[in-house]
Amino acid sequence: MNCEVCNLKELEVESFEIREVLRCVLHTIVFHRALGLIRPKDIDLELFDITYVQCGEIEVEKKIDDKIEQFITWIGKHPNKKSQICLTFYEVKTKQPSWFTNKIERLYWEQWNINLSAFQPPTKPPVGKSHHSKLVMDHPGEESEDISSRRTLLEQSLQEVLFQIIKFVNEKKDHVPPINDGVIYCPFEITFPSSSDSTFGMDMLKRMLHSGGHPSMLS
Amino acid sequence: MNRSSNSEGAKAEQIIFEFFAKTLHIILESRTPFMSSRNFSSSGEQMICSPSSSSSSSSSVRPRDKWFNLALRECPAALESFDIGRRSTLEPLVVDVVLVARAFDQMNSPGGRELIRNFSGKEYNSDQDDCETKNEQIIERWLVQYDNRKVRERRSSSSNNNKLQVMYKKATLLLRSLFVMVRLLPAYKIFRELNSSGQIFKFKLVPKVPTIVEPFTRIEEAEMQKFAFTPVDTICGRLCMSVLYRSLSDVSCSQQSAPVSPTFITDYVGSPLADPLKSFPSLPLSYGSPPLMSFQRRHSWSFDRYKASPPSVSCSPSPTRSDSQALVTNPCSRRLPPHPCQDFTPPCSPSAHAQAFPRSITRTESAPVRIPAPTFESKQNVVVPPSSHLKLSRHASLKPVRNTGPVESGAALEKMHIYGREDFRRNSGVKLSSNSSPRISFSRSSSRSYQDGFDDTDFPCPFDVEYDEITDSSSSRPGSFEQRGDAHEPPPLESSGSYPKKSQDAAVGALVNMLKKAPPLRQDVSESSIPELCWKNNKNKPGGGQEIATASMTASGIALAAKTTADALEELRSYKEMKNVLLSESTKDSSPFAVSES
Repeated sequence: MNCEVCNLKELEVESFEIREVLRCVLHTIVFHRALGLIRPKDIDLELFDITYVQCGEIEVEKKIDDKIEQFITWIGKHPNKKSQICLTFYEVKTKQPSWFTNKIERLYWEQWNINLSAFQPPTKPPVGKSHHSKLVMDHPGEESEDISSRRTLLEQSLQEVLFQIIKFVNEKKDHVPPINDGVIYCPFEITFPSSSDSTFGMDMLKRMLHSGGHPSMLS
Repeated sequence: MNRSSNSEGAKAEQIIFEFFAKTLHIILESRTPFMSSRNFSSSGEQMICSPSSSSSSSSSVRPRDKWFNLALRECPAALESFDIGRRSTLEPLVVDVVLVARAFDQMNSPGGRELIRNFSGKEYNSDQDDCETKNEQIIERWLVQYDNRKVRERRSSSSNNNKLQVMYKKATLLLRSLFVMVRLLPAYKIFRELNSSGQIFKFKLVPKVPTIVEPFTRIEEAEMQKFAFTPVDTICGRLCMSVLYRSLSDVSCSQQSAPVSPTFITDYVGSPLADPLKSFPSLPLSYGSPPLMSFQRRHSWSFDRYKASPPSVSCSPSPTRSDSQALVTNPCSRRLPPHPCQDFTPPCSPSAHAQAFPRSITRTESAPVRIPAPTFESKQNVVVPPSSHLKLSRHASLKPVRNTGPVESGAALEKMHIYGREDFRRNSGVKLSSNSSPRISFSRSSSRSYQDGFDDTDFPCPFDVEYDEITDSSSSRPGSFEQRGDAHEPPPLESSGSYPKKSQDAAVGALVNMLKKAPPLRQDVSESSIPELCWKNNKNKPGGGQEIATASMTASGIALAAKTTADALEELRSYKEMKNVLLSESTKDSSPFAVSES
């Protein structure tokens, strides 16, 4: 059983859009992997005319928000840079000791690569919700048009990414671990290059090593 | 072995059955607007066309939430309509999501009409709703079916029990996808709009579970997009789910155009509804009627904008909002060469123009909200008549005003809808005039407000009358304003904008300014400075006053205009009489020359 990898379409986001875009994408993915009893929560994006779904678990929300904040801090220091946020799902196995002598082992079975191209707006960023920028008075002239059209494009791209997630989830079901009673969502981690610049590569290496040894779950 | 396989089969069947139920629940939950009188859901009970009214399933709502670990909001319609007792799992489940617009609603709603036009693929009348005909369009068709063809041939090594687990897991995953999917499809935007906004819509979303499915024609199907979920293999077949849906990109625009406009109106900054107690001390008492108050705010917006960007500076509005921009700031629009309504000829018909830019009007509505009004109030000259460059906004305020001040917003909103077309026409009509007027050369506060003031004082007039007048004046103005500008005196213009077809010459503006700055001639009579100006003007040239009164009668501000001129003349006469009396009393022996001299 391989670790399935899904590379999501790159999204060009302004720095102030990162939070919402990432929330939308990450929660949508996690929702698909929250196979315990959940009470879904609809969230309407403020910047875009899109509704996504959260699994309704507070820990999930907090975990995602924390990571996003870290990422935003990092991106603030590295503006105008392409970056990749990795959301990986794993199973925890207490296994016989391996080379790394860890008794608890993370077996990664799925990896989502969220590709962002974050940039700083040339001028001051618009404040507030999207519809403000659509107002005539907010950004007179072409600037407003640019913002509006760019926002529309991003909205479409974000929608495409969400469709991409749905398609992937639909096509690849076999690798998903079986539903365990009491487990609301599959354990996951979110990483991005900066979260620990030095260990990021190591993480990836580990994952590659582990991905080949995923325990057979089904059929 | 046989018994176990039977029980496995029964379990599989139950899973399939529950899958159907959950699927239906997810779809209906996200497509059934809440029961509300706003949404014309009087026929809500007809929404689900299940032949049976059996509610045997309704008792098991909560336990069903545990199925597929997905707790959903209660949706009685879904559960009651789904006839669990009768339905066979082999029977495909079809859910149509229908957008319904009433013929009646279309009459009053340009947005609604547009909506139907966009959905012109399949319009038909349905007698479902008693007497009213409906235009209906299937915007989504969900198909869930259990295909039990010989998939079982594909044997695997795993046990049936394991298969069941896998099947259940995959069904769960599929339902997660479905849950997300229904919120991404265009119909959900309509659903959300219907639910979230407190507006009155001219259409509704009706999910149906038809017993007899009318297949789409090839053309219809070609118009629709399809998304097929990956089937879930079961023990003896597979679960298939797909959706055909319309792309509603253009519809989503039009469906907003109608409902959104009232939203902006109700609580815009200067609205009497939003701030009914706000008074404008600078306004003359005799003209301190509610309409003018709100108009003045409009004027303050445009004034602010005007201040921010001097007339000589082009605002370079973007193409998509050029109309709204033109409406908002006349100086800007005037300087826009490619503006569709730059030519002042009738072919640029207001109604056609309005229909072509419904969204821009909406934006126009929204734009003024952003402009701070208060700054202008301090700057506004006393004699500046209230005005508005924002025609729609003006009407927005006009409507409540017509009902005397802070009336209930509902009535005002209804009127907004009813008069939507007139608004559009006036809109463009006024724009024409604004384009043609050389207001840039005017002094800011007064000259720009003349024309708008004329339009704004029109509350007693029918819209069509005013529209015609405006159109006429605007079309005739370019050629004639120069002569007319010189021919007419500014003071009557000052008198609260009672002069509708006044040309706007720089000289007039200058004169107005001069007059404005001039000390009041008779403060003892009234606090209002406007009658003074009228009086002064009429004293100089009474005939001109008459002419002005006539002109204003034909235009929007009939009542105020007539009153103004009449008052002025009246005052003039009374003063003459007073003067004569005084003179005659004081100098009884004086010659008639003394009277005329004074």
